[in-house]
Amino acid sequence: MAGQDLQRREMLRIMATAAAASKFPGFAKWAFICSHDSQDGHIRPESYQPQFFSTSEYALIERLTELIIPSDTTPGAKEAGVAEFVDFMVAHDTERQYPMRLGITWLNAHCERLLGKAFLALSGAQQVSVLEPLAHKAKHREGEEDGRKFFSAIKELTVMGFYTTEIGYKEIDNPALKFYAKSPACPHTDDPEHKHLPPPKW
Amino acid sequence: MPKQVYDVIVVGSGAGGGMAIKTLCEAGLKVCCINAGRRLDPAKDFRNHRKPWQMKFRGFGDPAKRSESVGYMDSEWVPGVWEHEIRYTTAPGTEWTWPRCWAVGGKTNFWGRSSARFGDIDFHAASLDGYDVDWPLTYAEIAPYYSRVERMIGVSSSVQNRPSNPDGEYLPPFNFRCLDHILQKGAEKIGVPYLHDRIAQLTVDHAGHPACHYCGACTTGCDTGSFFSTPWRFLPLAEATKNLELRTDALAKDILVDENGIANGVAYIDRKTRQEVEVFGRAVIVAATNVETARIWLNSKSRHWPTGIANSSGQLGRNLCDHLYGESAYGYLPQLLGQPSFPDSVGDNTIVWMPRWQNLRNPHEEKFIRGYSVYPGGGCGEYPWYATRAEGFGSSFKREVKRRYPTPVSFTIQAPTLRLDANFVDIDPEVKDAYGIPCARIHFQWDENVLKMWEHSKQVCADLLRAAGGVVEGSGNSPNVPGWSLHDTGTCRMGRDPMKFVTNAFGQAHDVPNLYACDASVFLNCTDKTTTISIMAFTLRSCEHLLEKFRRGDIKRA
Repeated sequence: MAGQDLQRREMLRIMATAAAASKFPGFAKWAFICSHDSQDGHIRPESYQPQFFSTSEYALIERLTELIIPSDTTPGAKEAGVAEFVDFMVAHDTERQYPMRLGITWLNAHCERLLGKAFLALSGAQQVSVLEPLAHKAKHREGEEDGRKFFSAIKELTVMGFYTTEIGYKEIDNPALKFYAKSPACPHTDDPEHKHLPPPKW
Repeated sequence: MPKQVYDVIVVGSGAGGGMAIKTLCEAGLKVCCINAGRRLDPAKDFRNHRKPWQMKFRGFGDPAKRSESVGYMDSEWVPGVWEHEIRYTTAPGTEWTWPRCWAVGGKTNFWGRSSARFGDIDFHAASLDGYDVDWPLTYAEIAPYYSRVERMIGVSSSVQNRPSNPDGEYLPPFNFRCLDHILQKGAEKIGVPYLHDRIAQLTVDHAGHPACHYCGACTTGCDTGSFFSTPWRFLPLAEATKNLELRTDALAKDILVDENGIANGVAYIDRKTRQEVEVFGRAVIVAATNVETARIWLNSKSRHWPTGIANSSGQLGRNLCDHLYGESAYGYLPQLLGQPSFPDSVGDNTIVWMPRWQNLRNPHEEKFIRGYSVYPGGGCGEYPWYATRAEGFGSSFKREVKRRYPTPVSFTIQAPTLRLDANFVDIDPEVKDAYGIPCARIHFQWDENVLKMWEHSKQVCADLLRAAGGVVEGSGNSPNVPGWSLHDTGTCRMGRDPMKFVTNAFGQAHDVPNLYACDASVFLNCTDKTTTISIMAFTLRSCEHLLEKFRRGDIKRA
């Protein structure tokens, strides 16, 4: 990948200029750490044993994370293993545990009441129709406050779990994936107000 | 065994202590530096380009330990470098968040690097607006010291020709990002400055260290010493002279005095053995931070100094000032929606600032006196904090997060409090720390003047953002808790009158001529600028004052 080559070249250049610093303690270890390839940072087991959620709860969490950040033209929550992160964080965060259980119970009871089935038994379109009023201010319905709280908690954890993976970094083209030789500069200096930029890329 | 006596004992190794050990050791004095924490190893203790997915809690930290965290810098990236064991207390009604790095180098390991000079508008503020007193020196007297410090450490900025924030000797500045050009146009329209900040971070190789590699991890420790910190810069120079003995995990307890009440050493607790140790010197420099220096001096009670050493004025620990910080406005720039990402935060710093523009011509032009500065920031960051503000879910949400990535902006105010009788540090009469040392107790409230600045900044920053074509989404509900800025000042204020001030214009205690304070405790107030580079410039001046005393024989070499 061209970008990666650039990054590696850049790293070598930086390490060459940094040689001046090599007489200071810690430098050799620093250079060693930098030369590590960070690509293999996130290795996931074939099947995951939830630490906090039951198997059926975990399946529901997995589905919700995939609905919030779906796999479409680019990888989503599924590929990034977001449900595992949610389970891990909730397992370590006693303040989140009771509201999570309450929310799951609420959601299933809510679906039973509206559509006669638990959330996971609904069709994809039905699942979306249940979540829409929780997710959009304009569509909020009375009596669904607990559901809205649960949805925003899951959404927060999904965002946290997705954009802190390499997949998430790539999704938004996070510039921290590269090193830079010079202080990066705005490329549109002839248009300081940025009124004539190319059309949005996405 | 005859007791060993050093020329100078230096307490602390941050900006002030670091400058002191370098200056004194290079001049040939034998120095013992005692430091309350351990020595860090950049290879182990710094972030070293680790990414969130290489961290157990992805950088968010262990939720079970959330309540123990002492602020945003006390993070999973750099575990075990912020002080948790030694307590301090707050008076009823006082809130004070105080992240303390007591490792060797102190907060210079992780500081924000903004490095503007104080000017005459700061030193003579009292003459201009009638509040409080002037500093006991002029800009012309301290300017050469700023220049020398800038040449030593490397500060990147541009010449701005504003006497209220004097220009220094700078390396090339950081480049403006897209968002800076857009916001600068907005600033022009409403008539406020939007300029390069002064940053102690290298844009070119300097002082044996490589230029910044723009990895964006500065506040979790620099791998290459590309911004100033004592361990990367001054400590190696001091150690190379072989005149330095550095004692770590040495928690200063009090200043020792001879039969005449003159300082002759420091008593400290060795945190590893829990034993009290005494170390002797001809002079003592305390550079332990504003509150800690007060704690050590107030705890140094003797027959001569019944209320704490060098406290005949009764002003020791008084006059606590702080910077009010807070998010004056946040929002986004729709111009940049959907544009490709850009490395906006790779410097992880304040690339730009809006230096004080209020009350410059007329000190009473605004509803408040003095003035504040603002640090704008934003763009593509390490983590899309704005994401949960986008409504909905699914592919449209995912796309919205991506579209907004280059757009978020926010404005942080830095506003100085005024000196008040009610704001001070004393010793808690009841609470002792883990080693039996009586704790510092903090009494502090925001004053009306600084809260007017906060309100003013919310209006100006929202106006600026709108004038730049941006969308204002809100502002912080309230300012950050006091202490958060780590820019507190004033417990050993400098002044000419020994009845009213603890130290003189050289940071030398009026009462005890061989005792100096070399940190922000000597500053009369915070000004609209950060404190670190001024601590270094004032410390350099203090050290040369002390060296002159050794040269003249006023203080005999050990």
